[in-house]
Amino acid sequence: MSTPVGIVLVSHSAQLAAGLRLLVEQIGSAAVPVVTAAGTDDGGIGTSYGLVLNAIKDADRGAGVLVLPDLGSSVLTARTVLDDHPRPDAVIVDAPFVEGAVAAVVAAASGADLHTVVKSAEEARHVRKL
Amino acid sequence: MSASSDTSPAATGHEAAVVLPANLHARPAGQLARAAGQFSSTIELDYNGKTINPTGVLGVMGLGATAGSTVTVRATGPDAHDAVAALTDVLASAE
Repeated sequence: MSTPVGIVLVSHSAQLAAGLRLLVEQIGSAAVPVVTAAGTDDGGIGTSYGLVLNAIKDADRGAGVLVLPDLGSSVLTARTVLDDHPRPDAVIVDAPFVEGAVAAVVAAASGADLHTVVKSAEEARHVRKL
Repeated sequence: MSASSDTSPAATGHEAAVVLPANLHARPAGQLARAAGQFSSTIELDYNGKTINPTGVLGVMGLGATAGSTVTVRATGPDAHDAVAALTDVLASAE
């Protein structure tokens, strides 16, 4: 089994991201590195440049990292971090937060490469719930 | 056993139907998608007139397949037989 792609969940809320991480571990796999970068440095609602930067490093097992922001400044902060520290194997993804995370973690658990994991997350936008 | 009717239309194509023992909710959908990702064959899942690729966990969940209903697994490719066997196994043991 190859090294799994890492997933970073960027959210305004530490609780939201932590809950989503628990969910994706149940549906997908606890073997995929899922790291949260959520809330401000002092635990409030907001986003933190430093938390995102560290999370990308923590999630990296050598197969690349997918960064999934929830909305608003999560997107801006994640983009700023990746603009300041560009690397070809760290990709910010435009996908629904819950569905994108579930699809990405399941794909990563199957041993998919970064491109395939990114595509799985992006396709989450087009899958109907009902 | 719930797996049945392996019709094998061709040497590389296999198909089997499973009566679900439980609703195909998030956890078994994840198991199914992870299992499907291990094969190089093209795999399809039929349920209630819908056909999806089971490597996508959200598509599997979106079927809304419920306990007691029949899901058909179809695979074409070099490991089609093993793929159908593995996926019917996951479906038949869903809790």
